Amino acid sequence: MIDVVFQLLIFFIVTLKETDILSHLDVSRPAPDSTAVPEQDPDEMLTIQIGKEGWVVNGRPYINAHFDQMDKQLTRFASISRKSSVIIKCTSESPHSYLVRVLNILARERMANISVFSL
Amino acid sequence: MSRKKNVDGCELDMTPMIDVVFQMIIFFIVTIKMDENINEEIILENAKEGPVYKDPDPRTIVIEVDKRGWISINNLQLNDKTLRDIMLNRFQRMGTFPVMIRADKNTKHKDVRRVMDICTAVGIWRIDFAAIKEPKN
Repeated sequence: MIDVVFQLLIFFIVTLKETDILSHLDVSRPAPDSTAVPEQDPDEMLTIQIGKEGWVVNGRPYINAHFDQMDKQLTRFASISRKSSVIIKCTSESPHSYLVRVLNILARERMANISVFSL
Repeated sequence: MSRKKNVDGCELDMTPMIDVVFQMIIFFIVTIKMDENINEEIILENAKEGPVYKDPDPRTIVIEVDKRGWISINNLQLNDKTLRDIMLNRFQRMGTFPVMIRADKNTKHKDVRRVMDICTAVGIWRIDFAAIKEPKN
């Protein structure tokens, strides 16, 4: 009986898999055919366009290597107004990781009003 | 047990050891996750600032998109029409429900968009993206 119990114990120890702790990044998605963006003062609105090579934040481009600079700009913007609307526009060929990295910064800055559009 | 007698005639009591072993087995049975029916090929991007994904709403549906753009639920590959039918059917039965998109970090947005468009077409406006908060050691 002890042998069987040990066999069971070893089985469970071996098959026990460690898993990653996941986070979730919440966004809202407008209707697929809608091109309208929320009406707000453009100065209080953050627009981030995500392309294949990097990001464009309120008209200022950043390539992937300059991610830290973009991080600083987003942090600066968030420090002025955390209640601003954030519009993220993704191009078809942009990698999903670029979107997640931006959402990660916005989560850190506690900006919740985020909409994702597709170009 | 009787063969465990030593030369002095003392009997080795195995009861506490069996108790401990049973406790450990019960621990592993209780903690093991049996619902890990996920696509292991998908590599998620890190997002350590995002809120922890724990105790999700039981109605949550996890839609996976791998780097080739293949869509699956519970590791079952689906085409767009089937996904739309599943989502629509679910929406008609239970109303709005949480959607978690588990997309590979190298997935192109056009493939994630297919899932998002189906969600919005059905009537779901809030979407969660899965990312790694703390990688396993």
